[in-house]
Amino acid sequence: MGKIFRYECRRLLWNKFFIGLAVVLLLYGALVLHSVTILGVSHTAPFSPWSFGDYLSRMMLLLWLGMLFFLTFYTSPQARRAAILMDATPMPPKQYALARCAAALTGGALLTLLCMVEAAVFYGRMFHWYSWGSLLLPALVTLLPALVFALGSGWLAGQIRPWLVYVWMAVPFLLAALPLPEALGLWNGSFFTAYPLTLETLDPAFTVPEVVLLPQGIALAAGIVLLTAWQNRYPAAA
Amino acid sequence: MELKIQNVSMTYPSGKQALKGLNLDLKSPSLIGLLGPNGAGKSTLMKLLVAALLPTEGSILVDGAPLNKVEGKLKASLGYLPQDFGLFEELTVTQFLDYMAALKGVRSPQAAIRDVIRAVNLEEKARAKIRTLSGGQRQRVGIAQALLGDPPFLIFDEPTVGLDPEERIHFRNLFSRTAQDRLVLLSTHIIEDVQSVCDQIVVINHGQIRFTGTPEQLIASAAGHVGAFWEKDEKQEQGLHITARVNTSQGVRCRAVADQLPPYAQAEEPTLEDAYLYLISREAVQ
Repeated sequence: MGKIFRYECRRLLWNKFFIGLAVVLLLYGALVLHSVTILGVSHTAPFSPWSFGDYLSRMMLLLWLGMLFFLTFYTSPQARRAAILMDATPMPPKQYALARCAAALTGGALLTLLCMVEAAVFYGRMFHWYSWGSLLLPALVTLLPALVFALGSGWLAGQIRPWLVYVWMAVPFLLAALPLPEALGLWNGSFFTAYPLTLETLDPAFTVPEVVLLPQGIALAAGIVLLTAWQNRYPAAA
Repeated sequence: MELKIQNVSMTYPSGKQALKGLNLDLKSPSLIGLLGPNGAGKSTLMKLLVAALLPTEGSILVDGAPLNKVEGKLKASLGYLPQDFGLFEELTVTQFLDYMAALKGVRSPQAAIRDVIRAVNLEEKARAKIRTLSGGQRQRVGIAQALLGDPPFLIFDEPTVGLDPEERIHFRNLFSRTAQDRLVLLSTHIIEDVQSVCDQIVVINHGQIRFTGTPEQLIASAAGHVGAFWEKDEKQEQGLHITARVNTSQGVRCRAVADQLPPYAQAEEPTLEDAYLYLISREAVQ
């Protein structure tokens, strides 16, 4: 299983598309950091969890896209044709799916890490600020549910029709353009700009109200539930 | 290893019935040729045997146990080359085989990979990326992954497609050697491949088995039904199944199979191809 995981990581991460995606991510990250984050959001410091959360929300567009890009390695017509060979082996489908899922998550985690390191370097260079621990909570709350949901829902979409994965890539762009209710504010970043203002204090401590946490919890749970469907065989085998 | 196919029928969700009440016993060691026209149900039968599909009726027994109960055991003893398959383009031949060896749980994968690469004559391409391979070389990678781990049960669906004549002969010999101590099921349209290596033949058409036996028995069944004649008039072909038509300096020489040969046809010794065509054409008439 370890070998399958390593080969899947190699397939997902050692190619020009991943390198291209990483470069685009870094360039877009630099643009956001130097044009938006540097000013701080909602009258908070550029390195406040609110400003950092806003940065991550903007980066989520590309992270979501990257996560679904990894899935195309498993759901493309070519991959489905290869799955006929894999299905005829004694490897339990659940274990095989777990190894592949772990590889896709590793890819997502690497891209996320890239974003965070870029922000950390930016904060260090611009403001000599190094208290990165305070940024962990906004990162977890913003990215983890969204990316696990992207992986689970994207997998399901790809099983139905491979091209649906590409359609699904547009979802965060659509969400960014829509006026979402406060409860879904983490999905388009509006939470980080609007909520601190309602707290009526200067540079408020980072908190997430339950009404916002609930959809995140639901998205995370839904993503995990959908991921457990990974052991389902490809319809191509039938 | 022994497989018993008992009254198996398979109807797809679309309503298409691919197999109807199939009964067949497969026992090692044997190299069984599976023949039949396109859409006859050969690939469906193979998918059932590798547990990629479940029959809608009937059962398949592997060494006396129902396939669904011993699916893992069957797959651990199986080498499968489907008719249409994909490979991981970004891996090298060796890496892909190493990946497949991990899925198959092959012990000493390096030695096993070396052996199969040699068996399929791909030593020169062992380190080449799969995306750089030709169609025939990809087919050889497919055969190599099926042979990995020396499985006692091998299923090859159209294995010689895309191979040149020299390669085809090489693989025919390889299959023959492989079948000395195991069960090999070989589905093909190339009668010559079957005639050269198979000790048993199963002919399937319209989802039903039309013949099981040795190649000699199939040939014998067409005795007296194969003839040749010089074509003088196109009407001569009516009611006959023309299997060959050669333009010569003396005219057009036709070879035909028929239930009853016309008086102008001279009886000829049937080949396996004649016998197969006779069997299929007789069914078409019926």
